[in-house]
This record gives sequence, C-alpha cells and structure tokens, in this order.
Amino acid sequence: MSGINVIKRERNVIINPLKTCQPLGAMFAVMGVHHGFPLVHGSQGCSTFVRYNFARHFREPAEIAVSSLHEDAAVFGGRKNISSGIKNLAVRFKPDLIGAITTCSSEIIGDDVFGFVDTTKKELKTMSEDNKGLDKIEVIPIATPSFVGNHFTGYDVGVKALVDNLAEPGEPTEKVNIIPGIVNPGDIREIKHILELMGIEGTMLTDTSDPFDSPLRPSVTPTRPYFPKGGTTVDEIRDSANSQGTIAMCKYAGSAATSLEKQHNVPAIIETPPIGLQNTDQFLRNLKKLTDCNIPDSILDERGMLVDLIADNASRYLFDKKVAIFGDPDITTGLARFVGEIGMEPTMVCTGANSNSFPEDMEKISKETGTDIDVLFEQDMRSFEVYIKENPVDLMIGTSDGRLLSLDQGIPLIRAGFPVYDRIGYHRHPIVGYNGAMRLMELITNAVLERYYDPTHWKLQQ
Amino acid sequence: MEPIIETFESRKKHMCIKGSGISIPECNTPVLPGTVTQRTCVFGGARIVLMPITDSIHLVHGPIGCAACTWDIRGSKSSRGDLYRKGCSTDLTEKDIIFGGEKKLFDTVIELNKLYKPGAIFVYATCVAGVIGDDIKSVCKHAEELTGCRVIPVQSEGFQHYNKTKGHWIGCDALMDYVIGTAEPKTQTPYDINIVGEFNVAGDVWGVKPLLEKMGVNIISTISGDSEVEEIAMSHRAKLNIVQCQKSSNYLADKMEKKYGIPSIKVNFFGIDNTLTSLMLIAEFFNDPEMTERTKKIIENGIEGVDEKIKEYKERLSGKTVALYVGGNKAWSLIRAFEELGMEVIMTGTKNGMKEDYERIKETVKEGTLIVDDANSTELARLLKKYRPNLLISGAKEKYISMKLGVPFCDFNHDRISAFAGFNGFVDFAKAVDAAVSSPVWDLTSTRLKSTKWSKFTKMRRN
Repeated sequence: MSGINVIKRERNVIINPLKTCQPLGAMFAVMGVHHGFPLVHGSQGCSTFVRYNFARHFREPAEIAVSSLHEDAAVFGGRKNISSGIKNLAVRFKPDLIGAITTCSSEIIGDDVFGFVDTTKKELKTMSEDNKGLDKIEVIPIATPSFVGNHFTGYDVGVKALVDNLAEPGEPTEKVNIIPGIVNPGDIREIKHILELMGIEGTMLTDTSDPFDSPLRPSVTPTRPYFPKGGTTVDEIRDSANSQGTIAMCKYAGSAATSLEKQHNVPAIIETPPIGLQNTDQFLRNLKKLTDCNIPDSILDERGMLVDLIADNASRYLFDKKVAIFGDPDITTGLARFVGEIGMEPTMVCTGANSNSFPEDMEKISKETGTDIDVLFEQDMRSFEVYIKENPVDLMIGTSDGRLLSLDQGIPLIRAGFPVYDRIGYHRHPIVGYNGAMRLMELITNAVLERYYDPTHWKLQQ
Repeated sequence: MEPIIETFESRKKHMCIKGSGISIPECNTPVLPGTVTQRTCVFGGARIVLMPITDSIHLVHGPIGCAACTWDIRGSKSSRGDLYRKGCSTDLTEKDIIFGGEKKLFDTVIELNKLYKPGAIFVYATCVAGVIGDDIKSVCKHAEELTGCRVIPVQSEGFQHYNKTKGHWIGCDALMDYVIGTAEPKTQTPYDINIVGEFNVAGDVWGVKPLLEKMGVNIISTISGDSEVEEIAMSHRAKLNIVQCQKSSNYLADKMEKKYGIPSIKVNFFGIDNTLTSLMLIAEFFNDPEMTERTKKIIENGIEGVDEKIKEYKERLSGKTVALYVGGNKAWSLIRAFEELGMEVIMTGTKNGMKEDYERIKETVKEGTLIVDDANSTELARLLKKYRPNLLISGAKEKYISMKLGVPFCDFNHDRISAFAGFNGFVDFAKAVDAAVSSPVWDLTSTRLKSTKWSKFTKMRRN
C-alpha cells in the first residue's frame, strides 16, 4: 500500500527559501494586463528586487513603479506617496490600468489604500479636464501584506481584485476565462494554441505571455520599453463576467474563478495545471464540458504524438527512476502526476507554500502511481538538500535554485518553474498541454540519455 | 535652453551637461513616487556591504520576500566557504506582527548557530522589524551571550531613507560597532593594510591581492570581499586603509581614521593607469625605497604585453561611445579605463549619488559629458534613444531596457563573470567590452525585413 509521509519543517529559520512574498505575485498578475502598470506601495526595495528577479528569469525589462515609502510615512501615513504615485504614473504613462499593490510596511502602518485610491480617482477626474483620458484609467487596489501567504496567494489576490473590480454583467459570450497561474509565456501560448484548435475564444486572466516575451522589432521600439505589446485588455477583463465558464489551471490560486461564479454565475472549474497526459486530458474535457465544442483531430494527433514519444522511450530509459520535485504547489502537483504516468517514481515532492489540500493531492498521486511519496510541506531548499543527501534520487525537477546541489550530488536537474535563470529558453517553451509534456519528456529523457551513453556511467545501462 | 530629454519639471535639474552652467545635477532627493526607479532600499545597501563576508550567516529579520529576492545575487566570489550564499529569513507572519518577532528571531539565531557554527550571524532589520518595534539589538546581545557566536544587529529598515547610501553606512557602522577592534593579530608588520570597499565581484580581489603582496605589504583584511569576520576584527591594527569603492566605504575609512588613526588612500584598480597610480600611491605612502623599487618592477611586468593583448580590441573600440549608469563608484572609476580603450564616455550617472560623488564625476569627465542623477527607467530609455551610445554599463534591471533599444550592454554588476581589476583584469575587461560592442548582433537589431541593409551584413563594426 502506497502513501505519503508529510515532513514539516522542524525549525523556525528558513534557509534558501522556496517561496517569496505576496506582492511579487500581484505584480505578476498586473503585468499581464494590456497597458497595465503595477504600482507597489512600499519601500523601493519592494519593487527593485522583484524587477531584478523578473528580469533574471524572463530576460525582459520589468516595469514596476513604486510609491517610495520613507520614514515620514511610517509616522504620518503613506497617503501622499500613493496618491502622487498614482497621479505621476497616470500623467506619464497614461496606462489603462494601475494595480496599487500594498506591502508589509504600508499594511502595518494602516494605510487605507482602498480609500486613498478612491480619493485619487476623483482627483484624476478633475485633472482630466486639462489632461484628457486620465479619468478613464482604472486604478485597482490590491491588498497583499507580505507577512500573510506567499507569492502564489499574492497572485491569487491580484487576479481576484482585477476581476472583482472590473467584471461587469452584459451580453453572454461564447468565451472561456482561463486563470493560468504563475507560469511562463510558453505555457500561456500553448493554452492559446489549444483553444485555437478547439475554436474557442479565451480570455486569459491575465496574459503575461507577450509582456514577458516581447519581440525586438525596430519598427515598434519607439513605444518600448514603456508598454510591451499584448496582455489582457481591461475590456476583456470586464467581459469575463459573461463567459461560458472559467478554468483556473492553478488549483491553489483560483479564487477569481469562484468569485466570478458567485457573483455572475460563470461556472468555475479549478484544477491542477495541465501538465502531462492525464492532466491535459482533463483540461480538454473541462473545455468540452463548458463549451460543448468538439475536440478536433489535430489535438488528437498531438496527443497521439505525445503517447508515441512516451511509448518509444519511457519504459526503456525512465522506468522506476526516482525523481525529486520542488517548487510552487501547482507546478509540483502537475509534475508529480506526469513523472508517475511515464513510469518514474516521484519519491519526494517539496514545496515552500502552505497550500491546504496539497498533501491530499499528493496522496492521490501516490495511490495512482503506487509510489510512496515523502511530502516536504512548507519547507525550504535546505530541507530539500538534507533529504536528498540521505535519500538519493536519479533526477531532480525544479528551479535554478537547485543548481549547486545538482552539481554537488551529481544528480541531473531538469529546470521548471520560477525562477530559472541559469539556462535560456525555459520561459519560452511550454510544460503544459501535450506539447509541453513532449518538451518535458524530451528534457527528462535526454538528461538520462546523457549518462546512458557515457561509458563511465555504464551502470545506468543495466 | 532645450531640455536634455522630456521629463517631469521637478526632474529637469537632475540632468546636466558639464561646461554648460550648472554642472552638478540636483541629487540626493526623494524619488518621485510612481516612477520606475532604479534605486533600491536601505536594507539592500547594507546587504551589499556585508554580504561578501564568507564565513557569516546573513539572517534577514522580516517577511520572506526580503530574503527570498536577495540571496546569492551579489556575485561575490569566495576562496573558502560558501556560508554567505545562503538565504536566511525569520519569515515573519501575521502572528509575529501582532505579538512581536523577538522570540522567533532569538530561536532562529540559536538554530542557525547550531546548524552552521558560523563566524558571525548578521541580523538585518527590515521595514517590518522596524515598524513593529522589535529590539533586534537586545536579542542579538542575548543570543551572543548564550551562543558565544558573534551576533551582529544591522539596523537596516528599508524605508529609512530614499538613498541606499544610508544602507552602506549602516553596514559600515555594524562593522565599526561590533567587529573591528575585537581581535588582535598574532603578528604585526610596518606594512599592514586593509583593502576597504572591495567586494570581490567575479573575483576582482584576486587580480589585486597578488600585486600588493609582491609589493611587500601585508593584507590584514579585505572589507568585505572574500573575507572572514575574524580578519575584519583585527583590521584596526592596519597602518593604512586603501579604499576601492569610495561610494560605499569612504565612510568606514573615515571612521577608522578617527577612531584608530589609520590613514586612507583612495585607490582604483580598473584600468592600467588607475592601477599603476594606485600601486605607486601605496608605495609612496610607505616611503620604503625597496618597496618602491619592487613596485616599479611589478608595474613594468604588469603592463608588459598588455598593449599587444588589447590591440585588436582597441582598434575596434576606438571612437566608440559609452554611457555609464551605475550604483555609485563606477560612475567615475571606470572613465579612465574606457579612455584607455580609445572610447569616449558621453554620459555618466548614478542612482544614489551625493554632492561629493558628482564633484568627483565632474572632475573626471570631459566638457560636454552628460551627468545624470537617479534616472528612472523612462528617462534612461529616452536618454539612450537620444544619445545612442555604443555601450551601456549598468545593472541587471537596466540590461534588458538597453537590449530592447538595440544598445549594446556589458555586465558590470551581479551577473559579471570575469574579473576586471588589475592588469590581467583590464585585458578581460577590454575583451568583454569588445564582445558587447563589436558583436554583429547589433547590426541585426537595426535591420528590417523589407530593407536591403542586411545583405551588407559583413561585420562592418569589426573592420
């Protein structure tokens, strides 16, 4: 009988974190809005460090404004900063939307950002008499205290705030809303590709694919780098109240879907991301359920190619290999199921977040795959490292933060998740959908093959 | 007069041209809220100064983000342990905000000491620690008494100031108050020195140390690249401080002079001219004929063949223009090095400059050079578009702004791989600059499908 063994952190200190704070997730969500601009209400570091991390992962500029809170704000409040921040941002960039994102400091000093935003909006209205269009800018307050939750919940709060503030009932549409989660441009593009093959019009809540992977074209550079192309328009978000349904492909950050269901009767489906064969199958079934669209041959062909690829290689090279997976709760859940279905054993899965039903999901995967899974819950990279040294595995899948351990232990690391900064291309290629599964299959198998044909590692050939 | 670029009224005075009236930009003022500032916070500033101390644990007392986004990003190399590369956080959560985080901090320090037996544990206060009023000093003191490990409070609440220079000072103060002067060297020589403000990014200090050692000086400590805390503790016995990053560390050198009477010399090991001037300054200070002789020899050996090695690069780079937009010191320290490659610095600026920094810049640059203070990303993009330099030197956040505009970029910060200091470093520097500027990719970025320009793609930049 297989099962899970949940291992919690037995110390206070976090060493080499596997999660970061809420504002990062909210900034990510707002970056996916067309002409949307995140404005962080906090210290300069709150924007600078996140911008650095985004730039490092996506290799694109990340434009995030900050209200630059200083000591006097701690005493007198940050109203002036956020208010002039919104106005300066509005005048300079004329964005379609500003996400006013709170941080630990602005939350603790008790800034009423919701109230400040309301007042500032009125001021923008007055200012628009001289400066046309300022009154059209949507300003959405997003409460993301950094001492609550993690980057993933911050993303959840961000998307929900956008939807709650903007979604407007109107004529029903044939569209489907998708909440992608903190994924890569390649993943979002793969989902759009699937929707296109199905003939479904989708609304990404929100669409970070083009903003974080923008072409370098001389003809468009004059607008760069103020606004990258792409992103979900404000109107599209408004219209999300009228869609046929919402699929959150992030089980732990799908509350915007629930909210749309409650307030506008838009059916919500909240699932594990479509990583691997079964998860993608489920995603397609969900699409069919919502839209009643047929699944075309072209998709069945892609599925067939994936199955073919798995059949060709999985049993020969991958069977019974032990894998340790680390990263965000959603991606790790998806990956664990996938490696299980191609015959590997997800013997350990580690996440930094405290998403409630994570252990239950792992229990399910454990039963499905017949693998005993050690679940490192609310953990950090130090725990991961200690565990791996005592319980070696054949492969690791996770972020670049495992790179040194991989070298040290001689265990190949297949990079997936956020952040990946020591390789290129990982943000452009999908890991979701059948195509994403093919990409993963190739990465995993090639990591094994690299040793398979190396005579010094002849043991792997046995 | 026509403004340099279009910007907010209040920002206009932050840019000027040397030789045209006001030649120092307005500086050291708060950032305009709502702009995409390139500045960071006080916590970031303190961490920059202290993080390279290799045998220490750097514990961030705050919510997880402050540690999660800043661990192991400094690019400082170590010839010994790698404890300093770990990212440690007390991960303050809601409960701690209400009831205070002191108990958690204390427990955390004890755990870290048990796990690693570090040379020291630096405890950084973040915005949250400051606002909830955790007394990190007393927690550190208590923990130090119990563990015997140095536990050093760094009062670096992020929002303390708009200028991260304050963070540098706070980092320096932590060393001054808790480390320097707390241990005695076993032996002393008349030639004991400290290298101050050298953080060993990409291994820079390894290009400098051998030169100094050959001169016959004895390096007690490097503050703080590739250092251990016990060495810094002995640094008060030095006869001389040589200061490389004057932006972050003049403050410390001045304090050491006041308290311990250690004089300091400003040095700069970027570029041949700067390197040999710095070496000679040190030799002159010690006023020992043998050392002077040895130093001349070292310089002779050092520059031998350099001209030959950089000849090819220099030919390609001559006449090319450079823009610098950096954290501080590099805004002036690199100028001469670029001139040695035949390049012209047309713009220089810093994110956190003080008046004295701009005085320094003004002295170093030619007439007509654009001097910029605290340019936000929009301004930076506009400046790059208007002045089209052949190269931008800046940090990771500016890198992709520059690339998107088709302006070549060279890493001089966190992401740098090769060391640029000293004689050999200069050759690597020339090579890296050439790779950025002369790469044919920049011809590609300006081509259009419909034009025929691409057919002339014959590495014109190279010839």
